[in-house]
Amino acid sequence: MEAALRAFIGYFFVVLIVRIVGRRPGKQLTPFEFVLIFFMGGLALTAIVGDELSFTNAICQVIAIALAHRLTSWIRSKSSRAARLIDGTPLILIERDQWRTETMTKMRIADDDVMFAARDKGLRKLSDVERAILERNGDISVLPK
Amino acid sequence: MSTVRSLAVEDSVAQVDHEVAVGEDLAFQRRWWRFEKVIWILFIVILLLDLGGTFGRGPLAHARLRTPDGELSVHYERIERKGTPSMMRITFGPHSVAGGTATVSISDSVVNGLGTQRVIPQPATTIIGRDALTYTFPVSGAAADIQLQLQPSAAGVYYFTVSEPDEKPLTGRIVVAP
Repeated sequence: MEAALRAFIGYFFVVLIVRIVGRRPGKQLTPFEFVLIFFMGGLALTAIVGDELSFTNAICQVIAIALAHRLTSWIRSKSSRAARLIDGTPLILIERDQWRTETMTKMRIADDDVMFAARDKGLRKLSDVERAILERNGDISVLPK
Repeated sequence: MSTVRSLAVEDSVAQVDHEVAVGEDLAFQRRWWRFEKVIWILFIVILLLDLGGTFGRGPLAHARLRTPDGELSVHYERIERKGTPSMMRITFGPHSVAGGTATVSISDSVVNGLGTQRVIPQPATTIIGRDALTYTFPVSGAAADIQLQLQPSAAGVYYFTVSEPDEKPLTGRIVVAP
């Protein structure tokens, strides 16, 4: 019982941490993000599993995490406020040839990141971008002029 | 024949300049950024407290109990962590060693609650009392140290006593963090 509760709490704690650490642009993880994910996962695991190394414990904790995930998805689909809290909202980075500098700074995004997304769309320079939007999953959507 | 449930598509996602449905909520995002700032400050405070030993295993966690005459003292961690080993050291002064032996009674909360794994050195005798265990150790010198390796199995607050025969006990409290 306690182990399942630990898994449940651990899930929401890691969700909070990942949300606080923030979105990073790009479709692939950078090496330092790999380190972050592995470290967080490993460290959370030691606390969640503790000294209960049984198969029963593993099954119960996996079920607890599946339930926590399902609950999160359900809440997200039912409430737009919860969805904003869990995923954040899309954020405009470029609008009418103007950088949204506040968003860029707060989200720790460089113009290179936007140009990477623009090249992916076949655009050659930033002035060809009508709008750039940082999506909830960290991707940057680029709308050409 | 089963019916297919459907709902008309509406433009529920907020648009920018009535052109692109982005769904940006900058007011919410600004609140979130303020919240993030508070959380980061909180994280730093937690880390500093942890480095100091507020949650155990640091300078603030070390504690010492001593009899007025200084003949018996106990060094321990006032904050411990569940499942994490620590040492409790009991020091006998010269007058506590009588006839080549030192005797100490330790409340059974140290064994049961705080999870004594072993006593170093091994006592010559152990007498089981009502709420305490009394250990006797052979001593060759004028003073002696014994150590108890603790490993609490559950979080909580534990009170313990350590005493010499016919002396007022030293009473301590250990908080075990989860």
